[in-house]
Amino acid sequence: MILTVAWIVPLMGAVALAAFPRWSEARARQCAAGVAALSLLALVVAWVGFDPAGPLFQHVDEMRWVPSIGVAYRVGVDGIALAVATMSALLFVAAIVYPVDTLGQPRQYYAWLLFLQAVSLGVFLALDLLLFYVFFDLSLVGMFFLIGRWGHGTPQVSALKFFLYTFAGSLFLLLAIIGLYLSLDPFTFDMRVLIEQQPLAGSGLYAGLVFLALMLGFAIKTPLVPLHTWLPQAHVDAPGPASAILAGVLLKMGTYGMIRLPFAMMQETFAEYSLVVGIVALVAIVYGALVALGQSNLKRRIAYTSINHMGYTVLGIAAAAALFADNQTARQLALTGATVEMVAHGLITGALFLICGSFWQRTSDYELDHYGGLAHQAPLLTGFTVLAAFASLGMPGLAGFVAEFQVFAGTFAIYPWLTVLGVLGILITAALFLDLLRRLFFGRLPAHLGGFRDLEPAEWGVLGVLSLGILVIGVYPRILLTLIEASSAILVRVR
Amino acid sequence: MLWTLVLVPLLGAILLYLGGRRLGRFGLSLSAALVVLVTLVLAGLAVMSGWQGGVAWSETLALTLKLSAAGSVFAVTIPLIALPIVAYAGSHEVTLRFDQRRAEPQGRRLMAVLLAFVGAMQLLVLANDFLTLLIAWELVGACSWALISHKWGQVEVPKEAAQAFLVTRFGDLGLYIAAAAVFAGSGGFGYAGLAALDDGLLGVAIAGILLAAAAKSAQLPFSSWLFAAMAGPVPVSALLHSATMVAAGIYLLARLQPTLSTVEWFAPLVIAIGLATALVGGVVGIFQCHAKKLLAASTSAQYGLMWVAVGAGFPGVALLHFVAHAFLKAGLFLAAGLAERQTGSYQLHDMRQGGRLPGIALAVGVMSLALAGMVPLGAAWSKEQIAAAAGHQAVWLALLVSLAGGLSALYATRFQLLAYGRPLRRERSRLPDGPRPSRAESGSLMLLAGVTLLLSVVWWPEAQDWVAEVLPLALAKSKTWELVVSLVLVVLGIAVGFVMTRRQPRSSIWLERAAGWFGLPVAIQAIAQGAVMLGHFLARFDDRVVDGGLRGTARFGQWLARCQLARFDDRVVDAGLRGTARFGQWLARRHAQQGEAVSEGMPGLVIRLSEWGGYWARRAQSGQTHHYYTGISLGLAVILAILVIGAWL
Repeated sequence: MILTVAWIVPLMGAVALAAFPRWSEARARQCAAGVAALSLLALVVAWVGFDPAGPLFQHVDEMRWVPSIGVAYRVGVDGIALAVATMSALLFVAAIVYPVDTLGQPRQYYAWLLFLQAVSLGVFLALDLLLFYVFFDLSLVGMFFLIGRWGHGTPQVSALKFFLYTFAGSLFLLLAIIGLYLSLDPFTFDMRVLIEQQPLAGSGLYAGLVFLALMLGFAIKTPLVPLHTWLPQAHVDAPGPASAILAGVLLKMGTYGMIRLPFAMMQETFAEYSLVVGIVALVAIVYGALVALGQSNLKRRIAYTSINHMGYTVLGIAAAAALFADNQTARQLALTGATVEMVAHGLITGALFLICGSFWQRTSDYELDHYGGLAHQAPLLTGFTVLAAFASLGMPGLAGFVAEFQVFAGTFAIYPWLTVLGVLGILITAALFLDLLRRLFFGRLPAHLGGFRDLEPAEWGVLGVLSLGILVIGVYPRILLTLIEASSAILVRVR
Repeated sequence: MLWTLVLVPLLGAILLYLGGRRLGRFGLSLSAALVVLVTLVLAGLAVMSGWQGGVAWSETLALTLKLSAAGSVFAVTIPLIALPIVAYAGSHEVTLRFDQRRAEPQGRRLMAVLLAFVGAMQLLVLANDFLTLLIAWELVGACSWALISHKWGQVEVPKEAAQAFLVTRFGDLGLYIAAAAVFAGSGGFGYAGLAALDDGLLGVAIAGILLAAAAKSAQLPFSSWLFAAMAGPVPVSALLHSATMVAAGIYLLARLQPTLSTVEWFAPLVIAIGLATALVGGVVGIFQCHAKKLLAASTSAQYGLMWVAVGAGFPGVALLHFVAHAFLKAGLFLAAGLAERQTGSYQLHDMRQGGRLPGIALAVGVMSLALAGMVPLGAAWSKEQIAAAAGHQAVWLALLVSLAGGLSALYATRFQLLAYGRPLRRERSRLPDGPRPSRAESGSLMLLAGVTLLLSVVWWPEAQDWVAEVLPLALAKSKTWELVVSLVLVVLGIAVGFVMTRRQPRSSIWLERAAGWFGLPVAIQAIAQGAVMLGHFLARFDDRVVDGGLRGTARFGQWLARCQLARFDDRVVDAGLRGTARFGQWLARRHAQQGEAVSEGMPGLVIRLSEWGGYWARRAQSGQTHHYYTGISLGLAVILAILVIGAWL
């Protein structure tokens, strides 16, 4: 029941916001924040009630819907889904509370955010393929309006590009889902049955095509090089909080989908192609980092680091999928690392994009060369940016390291060369973030930034909470790792 | 309990930064020194009572702490060195606000990060597995970045800090690989697992460890990051070169030497790197005219000698030289800072503070002599030990070590005479006046000089026996002729140093190149610039080609839709519709004319239906997107309704 509450509550909040036209901006924001926090609370309760020694999926809710074609309302979580969903809910609260210019339409803005929260959580909580697909597509709609209506620059164009590109990915996904569905007897969209039966094991070309379609769909969403070009443009024109959600939550749907669908349901096929996936991930890691280094626009640079970081996640998933490798501990470590990377990247890049939003609110300018010497003028902003940047470059003691270390250590046992080349990514990331910090905060203060304001309480409060999460995961990740390992241990077991 | 050694300085740093807003210079120095002192006491207790520590992150990931022989030496030496440096920093670097009571936030941050630096280094030397080691290894690097970029307002400083961080982080990558290799081979990250690896993985792990150690210890080809690190304030350099950061590399080699030396290429490679760095670094020191950079080159060279000792199979000797070097090098950096305060620059040729600060000049003289390797100072003994250790491998190695010792005697003499020598007569009038050193500054310096002097006791046989007893590591047996050769070279070096400083400095392109690591910094910068250029190129490629391909596809689709399909739609699809309608009309007319209709109603219905259908079909082809969408959604709704009804039935 608790999971249904977690996604229904924000949906009802969105409807309520749409229905009460007289609410002021402050009222709408408070209401939205309260609703989002309720949803987060529900997920925390689910976390507390999660039994690491129990079955794979817990808190399962099931309701008859269309039994003749095997569709039912099914929700439930394993440790991986719960960790990512809770992080997402936290990020939504942060995005809602973070101050932003709502262009005189606060109700609509918060309603769309809540709608997006409901369907995003739905993606992570669904145990029914069709339900998963519906939520997956609806999330595009929410983000389309957030970028198109509250963005800057050329928001309509970016939003349309984002929508069409990722929608094309969804179509591949739909084909693959139908392919999976048709392989079962009796037909059902129940994910548990699919994971249990591995229906496509050993079915050659058919399985390969379904796998290809699934991976294409998720690779566009993740995104992997060369299917990534919708991402930077969408980010640059999106308002700060929407960017945070886009990078922190929507990208995770791609990698989460990889774990939930191809990884769990088509183990044999994935194992066959895991090296290819690993190589694509390596390209994303190095290419993403290098292109990020070449950007002079603050937001584009951070957007490209997302491609680099999601590359680590996919690398971990690919290593974990290599069934033929006897080293089960290493595969489990890689999968756990990939999941921690999702959570860590959500918090870190979420914080970085919110910071971008603060820059835009003050100067309407993302050009790195127009800044400098802000460390004295805005010490709080500097402090939080330095922390997030170091977390993103994988400094120990912060969340990113826990993830990347596990991915590298786990992958090395299976694909040593991918790891040896992949670690170069953290060197380039370090270079680009130190360069970013230098150009924003160090050196001399340009004259036009004399009136630059430091963070307001609402801003540093939100960033403080996210930073605390980053620190806690970095220093004592046990809480998170226990939850994730409960599921990764079951998932990598050879059936 | 072992965690307290790490947590006290780390938490102390946080508390000092957050809670020290009201503190002045004295308060800051005192609280920081107290934290270091507590750490020192705890380290002493830990060495005596054999504490351990551990915390589990998950089933596979566990952080474990354990004191080893090498770790004990470091754990005590680090706070011992940090104590005078912190006291000096409080007085030398912390500036006061306009109210003359509270310290500026920069000063508070500097003191806090210095403490964190000590804590991270303690974690590094206590680690008993590669995960903990890697955490500490990277934290030390981050602390040094924060310390070097202390004066971030100057444009060049953050660049230099980034360079230092990136060069050492390149080495850190080796440690990532080493940790991963140990995990792949043993299923865990403990140091013990290293010995259990098979040959291939062991080779990879050791190569990674060597890379990490070489980068941190500023060995060739990474030596020049120490020059970049000179952008940091003096106390930072003093700590960085003596007991933290640079020391991490030699610690790791000494700690793991028994396992590392099982690969046959380890010893020759380590000796070659160490010896090359010692000799080249010595030459760089001889021609360098920037006081701190001279000392930085000397640091590389001295750590090179320690590498030789480890390579020759005597990690204990390397540890002893580390201790002796730590005290004297910290003191020399502090001395360079005092001289800079007097003249306003680090140019050696402008210094010559012997006349103004005779007492300090004397103390610095002791440390310079120790750096030169002059009997009977402690550093001389440990250097002789290294020569003897090298002699165990081959005689020519011992001779080369002695030659490196001669070079260090030369640059030590130059440093002493130029920084704290008597001014030349013709220059005496040009001396500007600076503030006298405070008691904390000169006191710290004297303390370090005193310890350097005290270390002379190791020449006594009883003291040597005690060292051999306390440290369960072998010492090398020195031969008399080696000692004589070394001493001759040292005296020769000192003599040449005297001559060099008498002469006016000549500048030539070759001297400058030698003083700057023979172009190494340029090479490293070229690599960095290459990476940035590649980044720019790829960014353009990404925009124009990758995204361009997408845009091209979109444009092609639009063109197809607009020109071809629209025409097709008009001419073929719509024509079909019109044709059908016309056919219907014709049919109806035929029926009506001939009056042979089966029934009156049928043709009329067909006409009307087809007309109506044609009309709607034409209307639907409106070219307006929202009409299409409405149509699609209506269709979907119908299908869904059918599905639901079907399910019901």
